[in-house]
Amino acid sequence: MDILFLLIPLSIVLVLILVVIFYWALKEGQFDDLELPGHAILDDDDS
Amino acid sequence: MSRSFPVRLAPDVSFDTSYKLTELHIPAEGAATLPSTADGIDAAAYQALDDPQLQAQFSRPAAQADQVESWLVVEGMVCASCAQIVERHLRDMPGVISVEVNAAAGRARLVWDAQRTAVSTLFVAIASLNYRPFPVQHIGDDLQRRDERRRALWRLFVAGFCMMQVMMYAAPAYFAAPGDITPDMDQLLKWASWVLSLPVMLFAATPFFANVWRDVLAHRVGMDLPVALGIAITFCASTAALLQKSGEVYFDSLTMFVFFLLAGRYLETLARSKVAANLEGLSNRLPQSVERFVDYPASCETHGALAHQLRCGDVLRIAVGQAFPGDGVVVEGLSAVDEALLTGEGAPVSKRGGDAVVAGSYNLEAPLIVRLERLGRESRFGEIVALIERAASEKPRLAALADRYAGRFLVGVLVLAALAIVIWSLIDPARALWVAVSVLVVTCPCALSLATPAAVLATSGNLAKRGVLVCHPGALEALADAERVVFDKTGTLTSQQLALKSVQVLRDGVEPDRAVAVAAAMERGSLHPVATALQSAASDKLQADCVREHPGAGVTGILDSHIYRFGSAEFSWPGFSLNEAVGVIGLLADEAGPITLMCFGETLRDDARQAIDELKLQALQVCVLSGDRQETVSEVAAQLGIADARGGQMPESKLAVLAAWQGRGKPVIMVGDGINDGPVLSRADVSIVMGSGAPLSQSGADLVLLSNRLGDVPAAIALARRMQRVIKQNLCWAAAYNAVCVPLAVCGLLPPWLAGLGMASSSLLVVLNALRLTR
Repeated sequence: MDILFLLIPLSIVLVLILVVIFYWALKEGQFDDLELPGHAILDDDDS
Repeated sequence: MSRSFPVRLAPDVSFDTSYKLTELHIPAEGAATLPSTADGIDAAAYQALDDPQLQAQFSRPAAQADQVESWLVVEGMVCASCAQIVERHLRDMPGVISVEVNAAAGRARLVWDAQRTAVSTLFVAIASLNYRPFPVQHIGDDLQRRDERRRALWRLFVAGFCMMQVMMYAAPAYFAAPGDITPDMDQLLKWASWVLSLPVMLFAATPFFANVWRDVLAHRVGMDLPVALGIAITFCASTAALLQKSGEVYFDSLTMFVFFLLAGRYLETLARSKVAANLEGLSNRLPQSVERFVDYPASCETHGALAHQLRCGDVLRIAVGQAFPGDGVVVEGLSAVDEALLTGEGAPVSKRGGDAVVAGSYNLEAPLIVRLERLGRESRFGEIVALIERAASEKPRLAALADRYAGRFLVGVLVLAALAIVIWSLIDPARALWVAVSVLVVTCPCALSLATPAAVLATSGNLAKRGVLVCHPGALEALADAERVVFDKTGTLTSQQLALKSVQVLRDGVEPDRAVAVAAAMERGSLHPVATALQSAASDKLQADCVREHPGAGVTGILDSHIYRFGSAEFSWPGFSLNEAVGVIGLLADEAGPITLMCFGETLRDDARQAIDELKLQALQVCVLSGDRQETVSEVAAQLGIADARGGQMPESKLAVLAAWQGRGKPVIMVGDGINDGPVLSRADVSIVMGSGAPLSQSGADLVLLSNRLGDVPAAIALARRMQRVIKQNLCWAAAYNAVCVPLAVCGLLPPWLAGLGMASSSLLVVLNALRLTR
């Protein structure tokens, strides 16, 4: 079970990485409009 | 600053192409899917937006040199696919770097290359799709709102991720048999929980602490105090337990509680901003720039002019799809105008020379030339915006009352929590602190202080959509309680138009129909109310020659080689004596003498009867109070089925009657036109004024029927009653919830995390209940 002494701190780092990734996505405006991109898939004449 | 754009009016330039548009009857909305060109759109109107000063209001330099970021309000987008059309169209244009269109918010963000395109080109491109682009009023507001939303979501996510992980660390302690976890491992898990609680405490939960700090500075007890206290105590006590290596830690409850609370707040703000948008949409309507004639009618040259440069008396050319910058009169042109925003009336209203147009309404079919009469604050639009602003700053009595009770309630909760600590430290010292935390967290004053304003706001927003403006939100409560509606007659139950009531033949062998037709022929082309009444009454269309109007008296004209005179008795046949003066009369005479006497009277509003019937169904007593003669008032009342009709009332006697009714304890609603019944209206508990009446700002009315539909009176009352019910439901729920949960928490039966969940869901429930009123 000693491995947990490595894995638990690692999980903290993982959470922090996740939070940073999310911050980046938010900053890029990924969450500003949750409606339009869903409809964009149905659009086939993509020029 | 502004450049000049020579525009020829006829025959080949834009009037011409716009007529094609008119023939096709392309509606303003829904037409977006049709491929259309920039034909009907006037590029010149948008070119003033290239002015750097004006542009700075809605644009700012982007990251790259020469690139500009602009924010636009785009109107007419009803769904996501509309937004997509705009987005795709703009993306293909040269010089456009990126486009983001948000259909829900009606906003577009453009990044474009200042070297390769101009912002006016982009506006024209959007307008050519039959959407209405506006620059945002202040770019700062929009950015701020977006950043706030992002920050709230960011806090929520930090709390969410940390909560999930802290749960993972806490889970072994819940499930493991005693002795399964070594003390080392136990400490490791607890320290890991502590590390992940830090971002929650120091970042995600800061709004609660900030609110408490603000309240403390203002010497108030705010809603967030118990919450912040609960969080702080939990964190400090758990940290102390961790350092001493003895006692319980509650990092899992702490993070979960913060997450629930933030989630509830986020949903609340989303829901409320949706309602507020209904009202807020108004202030973005006016165009920033218009085309002004340099010297009308001598020359047809126009210059682009900025909105703030306009003066009363200016003659403007309003292109298709543009809004009117001020109130004015149509000088030339024939078009339809969308006044839905101001009156709630969906169908376009046709306008031609001489008709009045109001600021903020849209020109739909063909360009119009308009002379400005009122601008800015004095325009009808300005009045409406001012009323809305005033209403927004006013707090209804019930909300203020709820706020006060919420304050006392909070003090009670703090005292109770302190008592819980004292009592529990006698019973079980280890649990005392946690019981207190549960008590602090579970109580939900939100329902008291949050739900009522939300309900009032939702109701005002809903009424605004119908064209009923709520100027004093407090009046909505009285509206729901009232049991008597008092109508003024003139201009309220009756419209301002006249109708032909009776034709009295004064000479043998004259057909009444023929006489009416003759009078109508003489009055053709006049805008006098009598003329309109005659036009609608005449069955034959005759043609009179040499018609001359004598202002204030009547008309003369020749028809079938007779000289006819029509007008007042003195004008048509001096010496003719009237038996009695009944309303407005018109005497038709020829060379030989008087022919017929016509009486004109007021017409009832189309929807008056139905509105009165609905009011009666709502168990309201309906009566008429008028300064007009008793016979006329009784006649109108009889037609509408109103039993209680009092005519011949002077303003003082009206006040006395009103006071007598009010003496019975129930609020009285007064409906008037706001012109001659000001004192009575201001004395009534709820005053409702027809929008077509007096200047809105002076009427001091509680509700204004911009729609001019009497049917909106019962509709508003029904909605106010629903609002009252929802508020009562919410208060009952809050009382029941707290009555059940607080004792449970005091008895130590409610763990802190469950208390947090209960509070968050309770406040969300009351807000959602209030939002039902928007439908």
